[in-house]
Amino acid sequence: MRSGPAAAACAALLLLALGPTSARAQRTHLLVVTGLGGAPEYSAAFLSQGAALMDVAARQWNVGDSSRIWLAEDAAHAGVTARATREAVAESFLRLSRQVRPGDVLVVALIGHGSGEGAQSRVNLPGVDPTAAEYAGWLAGFARQTVVFVVGASGSGDFAVHLKGPGRVIVTATRTPFERNESRFSAAFVRGLASGDADADKDGRLTVLESYAFAVREVARRYQEERAMLTEHALVSDSTLAARTVYAAPAASADPRVAQLIAELRELEARLDRLKARKGGTPVAEYDRELEALLVAIAEKSAEVRAAGGRP
Amino acid sequence: MKYGPTALLLAAALAAGSGPGAAQSVDRPARAERAEALLRAGDRAAAGREARALIAEYERGGTAWPARDLVAAGRAYLVVQSGDAEAVRAALRAFDAATARDSLLIEGELRAADLMLDKYVAPEAKLGYERVLRRHPGHPMATLGLARVIAFTGQGDALAVAREALKADPRAVPVLTFIAAQHLEGERIDSAAEVARRALVLDQGSLDAWAVLGAAAWVRGDSAAFRNARVRAEGIAPRPAAFYVTLSEAAARQRRYADAERFAARALELDSLSVPALGALGTNRLRAGRLAEGRALIERAFAIDPFNLWHKNTLDLLDKLAGFRTVRTGRFEFVAPAREADVLLPYLAPLLEEAYDALAARYDYRPPAPVRMEIYDRHADFSVRTVGLTGLGALGVSFGRLLAIDAPSARDPGTFNWGSTAWHELTHTFTLGLSGNRVPRWFSEGVSVFEERRARPGWGATVTPVYLAALKADRLRPVSQLNEGFVRPRDPNEVILSYYHASLVAEMIEAQFGPRALGDLLRAWGEGLTTAAVVQRVLRLDEAALDARFEAWVRARFARELAAASRAGVGDTAVVGDADLAPVLEDARRAQAAGQDSAVVAALERALWIWPYDAALHARLAEAASRARMPAIAVRERRAIVALGPSDPLGARVELAQALLEAGDRGAARREVLGVLEQAPTYERAQHLLLALRNAPPGGAP
Repeated sequence: MRSGPAAAACAALLLLALGPTSARAQRTHLLVVTGLGGAPEYSAAFLSQGAALMDVAARQWNVGDSSRIWLAEDAAHAGVTARATREAVAESFLRLSRQVRPGDVLVVALIGHGSGEGAQSRVNLPGVDPTAAEYAGWLAGFARQTVVFVVGASGSGDFAVHLKGPGRVIVTATRTPFERNESRFSAAFVRGLASGDADADKDGRLTVLESYAFAVREVARRYQEERAMLTEHALVSDSTLAARTVYAAPAASADPRVAQLIAELRELEARLDRLKARKGGTPVAEYDRELEALLVAIAEKSAEVRAAGGRP
Repeated sequence: MKYGPTALLLAAALAAGSGPGAAQSVDRPARAERAEALLRAGDRAAAGREARALIAEYERGGTAWPARDLVAAGRAYLVVQSGDAEAVRAALRAFDAATARDSLLIEGELRAADLMLDKYVAPEAKLGYERVLRRHPGHPMATLGLARVIAFTGQGDALAVAREALKADPRAVPVLTFIAAQHLEGERIDSAAEVARRALVLDQGSLDAWAVLGAAAWVRGDSAAFRNARVRAEGIAPRPAAFYVTLSEAAARQRRYADAERFAARALELDSLSVPALGALGTNRLRAGRLAEGRALIERAFAIDPFNLWHKNTLDLLDKLAGFRTVRTGRFEFVAPAREADVLLPYLAPLLEEAYDALAARYDYRPPAPVRMEIYDRHADFSVRTVGLTGLGALGVSFGRLLAIDAPSARDPGTFNWGSTAWHELTHTFTLGLSGNRVPRWFSEGVSVFEERRARPGWGATVTPVYLAALKADRLRPVSQLNEGFVRPRDPNEVILSYYHASLVAEMIEAQFGPRALGDLLRAWGEGLTTAAVVQRVLRLDEAALDARFEAWVRARFARELAAASRAGVGDTAVVGDADLAPVLEDARRAQAAGQDSAVVAALERALWIWPYDAALHARLAEAASRARMPAIAVRERRAIVALGPSDPLGARVELAQALLEAGDRGAARREVLGVLEQAPTYERAQHLLLALRNAPPGGAP
């Protein structure tokens, strides 16, 4: 059964009001800070993760050069904006705060070896390490943006306490400052973003929650493979906002035909959601029949959207 | 501490019973001795009355007692310790108090150390014995204690230390009975009997010595001697549960589990509170796959003695086992953690069905189904299932129709081949079943390794420089003594070499005496014949002739290698196994470079029997199988990837759906892709596949 045009128009309006697929494409800004390695293998790993994040931002999130900053131990490394000193971090936040617009998304990735507790939690950088309290101060300039702050470091649990706030998703590699063993979280997190494997529902819109869940799963797998006890437990501060926040969302098509098709597609998806909600109470054969019909309809509609130059 | 003749003590105890006179005696050590004797005789009630009277006195005002009476109080507590952990602690406090009161009296220290060892605290026990030996060098009971610690930990030569104790006191019956029991455990049956007889010369009332003598007679099949030992044991103690426990343990070591269970049940009839009897019966019920009954018995044992490490480990394991998945396929019942079941069973179930058919045809014997195989993803759990403790070195074990193996994940990659291990253990099911569990270990192991080699190219042990060097130097045992290589190896390498050596005996017998010879030998053992009689009947040879025949055969077989053999290097392994991943992967790489997809499939399948958890390996195999038009293998591999919980689970399921479609299973492909799209309705690849499935003509791939 196909829905009528009125319903489709309502669905389209709803999406414009709520969803990441707004008339204007979401603008994402990225600040990557990779800390001191302390040993060649860690330095190399942190640099590799930083480079991967910069690449993902450029290629997959369409983040412009001016909105991508990478501070690292080795300023001479390809792609690094500047050495990761406390001053450079502060300056980077300031710079980004001047170029963001309301509704933008700021992604901060802080990768390295963590230490300290409470407001004094820190990630080791060249020179004086900024504290969680200082990072909290720097984030004050982003009250009208959604901030995704990922601390991929050992002993980083207390960052969440000091950075959380409205419009912020704080992801930490560990639950407490006392999980001090080498963390595998940041590597898994970055791999999920780079490979696309973290996009659990394969809709092409990777949410922060998906990337977090992927990393948690992969970290657990890594420990299991090594037959080691899991010594790090990641946290996400606001899973509702994390589920709504995507790293990149394309602009809605200006083509009214595509918009109409997408609205029809969303209506089909809504019907699918309603069907799934009553799965337990529907006879299996009937459910399967309706499921297949809806999924085929969605597939066909998606094909129409693609054919018309849109993205489902 | 006394360790003299026990017959008089037992008789006196039984005569005195627990009458008022007995309880009033001021000779507290004698009263403790009497309580212990009553307990040994199986009269728990009288023993308890005697001991409790002593304990009551002690608890009223024993703090001022002399040291020897404090020791007596401790002994009394141990008589009533059943189900009472506090009594054990009180006993220890009494022994410690005795030592504190009179440091010259070593009995308190010795008793405390014995108690520690009985409760599995071997390091503390060892320290206690060593403290005694520092003050009394060569003290026989302390030296015996050290021997018992070594026997418990398996670290050192317990017999050598016990012999030191015997030098210090050649008339020490407990030392002799310990040595006899050690011989029995090491399957030196004649030595066990001989030492037990020496103990009995000194003390006709030693129930332990009669138990060893009885067990040795039973193992040898000497029914008259067995009957005599049993009657004598019953004469000493009307309810000699310990006698039957010793028999049960000896039977289990001979892998005659049904007999072990029967003896343990008899022990329990005689003493329903005997922890060793409950443990032995419970363990054998568990070996028979009767888990609920076995668990109930072990729980009873653990309630009585909460210090028992074996029982604690076993109960913990059974708790874990309850969370395993049970899968019944064909003639097998698999019990494994869910993930292992998903990953391993698609390979293992068909392999074991194939093995069952091959072995049934070869030996004309079909073990009753189901054969249960338990798969453990933690080696410690496998070890507990097998011997009640962690630390067992084996990879698999067969109790007949119950097999247990390490999952490959329980070991490091490249440690072992789980396919050949499973085949090996199932072969034991046949050799044990066909021989009524009477097959000697060397032959059973030899046949199992021989069958491994026949199962797949490259499986099973093969010849190495170390083996050739041992053969050349005449360091390998003749067939008639080959069991020694398993139960009393001269060095750790000898066990490994013995497996291979024994497999060659099996190979030679089949080559020279025909395909039925191995089965006929097993059947002859099943009739209860001795090995000499078995060999004579089936091979028409005496054992010496078989030794000579094999010696000639094996030297002829390796004549060229022996002539060329250089000395084995220090780093050489005893036997080349079938778990080396690198050459198998190299084979796959070469085949792929040559575009030989079937060879790639063959090589990667060999690799999976070594390490099945590498999703990339499964993906390579699936791709090669698709190219080689082996769709069933491609489907199996795609399923394995899904079972491994990949980083991209929905992507893996779409690959599976695609493979199912290519295999012609449109229904399964459709179900899979609908399952994916239910979770991810806009997943483009899955959408394409769904539409292709709808649009493709029935029976054809799109």
